[in-house]
Amino acid sequence: MSTSSTQQAGVFLRFIPGKDIQIKLFTGLIILVIWQLGITYSDAPRFIAKPLNVFAVFPDVIVDNEFLDATKSTLLAVIKGLLISLVAGTVVGFAIGRLKVCDRLLNVYINGFYTMPMVAALPLITVWFGYEEEARMATIIFASFFSIAINAADGARSVPPEYLEVAHAYRASPRYIWFDITLFSSLPYLIAGIRLAAGRAVVGAVIAEFFISLEGLGMYILANTRSYAHNEAVVGVLVLAGFGLLFEWITKWVLATYYPWYRRANQ
Amino acid sequence: MLNSDSPWVRWGTVAVGLSIGAIIWEIAGLSFNRALMAPIWGNAEHPGAAPRLFELFADEEFRSALIGSIKLFCTGFGIGVALALPLGIILARFVIVRIALESYILALYVTPMVAIIPFIMAIMGFDFWPKVVVVTLFTFFPVLYNTLEGARSVKPELIEVAKSFRTSELALWRDILIPYTLPFALTGIRQATGRALVGMIAAEFFLSTSGLGGEIMVASRNFDMASVLASIFLITVLGTGLMRLAQAFEKKYSAWRGLDR
Repeated sequence: MSTSSTQQAGVFLRFIPGKDIQIKLFTGLIILVIWQLGITYSDAPRFIAKPLNVFAVFPDVIVDNEFLDATKSTLLAVIKGLLISLVAGTVVGFAIGRLKVCDRLLNVYINGFYTMPMVAALPLITVWFGYEEEARMATIIFASFFSIAINAADGARSVPPEYLEVAHAYRASPRYIWFDITLFSSLPYLIAGIRLAAGRAVVGAVIAEFFISLEGLGMYILANTRSYAHNEAVVGVLVLAGFGLLFEWITKWVLATYYPWYRRANQ
Repeated sequence: MLNSDSPWVRWGTVAVGLSIGAIIWEIAGLSFNRALMAPIWGNAEHPGAAPRLFELFADEEFRSALIGSIKLFCTGFGIGVALALPLGIILARFVIVRIALESYILALYVTPMVAIIPFIMAIMGFDFWPKVVVVTLFTFFPVLYNTLEGARSVKPELIEVAKSFRTSELALWRDILIPYTLPFALTGIRQATGRALVGMIAAEFFLSTSGLGGEIMVASRNFDMASVLASIFLITVLGTGLMRLAQAFEKKYSAWRGLDR
């Protein structure tokens, strides 16, 4: 075992391939073998997904048009919803972080909606938006908006007061204060917020698809498990996990490269 | 003036914020169709959410649904935490196990667990226990992932020194491993309370309809918006309470994280 990965820096270094990778791959192999043999030699139902069968169907599924459409539909909706939440959440979050009035007016609502499980609101959302794509979009935005707003507010609060004082001393216009100072110094918080929001957005999209039977990855998984095609459904889960991992890596990499001083404070 | 810190201005603004919200809700409830939205107080034509909440509490069926939900949450959450904590500390103790498993734990942590629900439904059916499994899965990975982060913060020098003084295994766990991982585990537990609540409602929606989730589902099918809003409000209050509790614990032990984290 290398000392470097046990040090503090290991938080970020662990993604760089090293000699640890052999241990990791070997463990992965063991997990897959146990999974395969466990399902084969127990009296579990035949339709349960097994790694070898998943590998077997993987090439077919990945070029299947139905699967590609479902993936595109879900991921595009998630990204679009995240962008909307990012813009709106940043504006609201900055207002809360910098203006005490806004903080006192809105704090209850932001925190309340943040803790409210968005699944519970799904029946309401479907009544308001119909069994359409709009309902899914609303769920995604609802799921992601508040975590971005909370992080943006934390970021805006963390702007060093010296910067603002200097800006005031030189009579900088509000444009510079908001964009060049507040926005830039809270960027790491925004990135952390997006990272949190992305996870919630994907969950929201999948749940919405289950609930309103809308075309998408969630529905693809649900439909295939219902018709006992579990191997195909597992590929859908893998895509969702891959999307989550990609987001995790990108945000971690950006934070580690450009904001090494920023530490994830209790996300 | 509006930004002043005097208690009058401060609590005044909070009160104004709350009443504006309540007025908007009330007006929206009264002006929309009652199948779309319900007001807070309401009148004979538009039943309100607040009076409905009291009616629901008087209702035997609703109370048993609430207790069922709480039972589901506690069982699943308890099992999830009870499994994740010892495993997390084992990861802190044996660096090799940590290196072997951490990537997979991260992958499962970022996988949306809702996507697993259809599999659980197909394999385990619609009983009470499949729902517990859902809540447990929603709880397990946030706790384990954060405990893992704590495991990484345990300095190998500490364990080495302890060993060279021939510390017993028990003392090693008590004095090094648990104090180092606990603050992180508590962060995980706070994260997990929110997620487990989502898991609870999702399980009650998509597996057999029961509990608070079931109440919301049935009420929304009957376009009984007052009950839907009352139940959602109740869930939010429960969630906020749990979150506050978890935050209080987290804060209490956060000093243990030390300065270099």
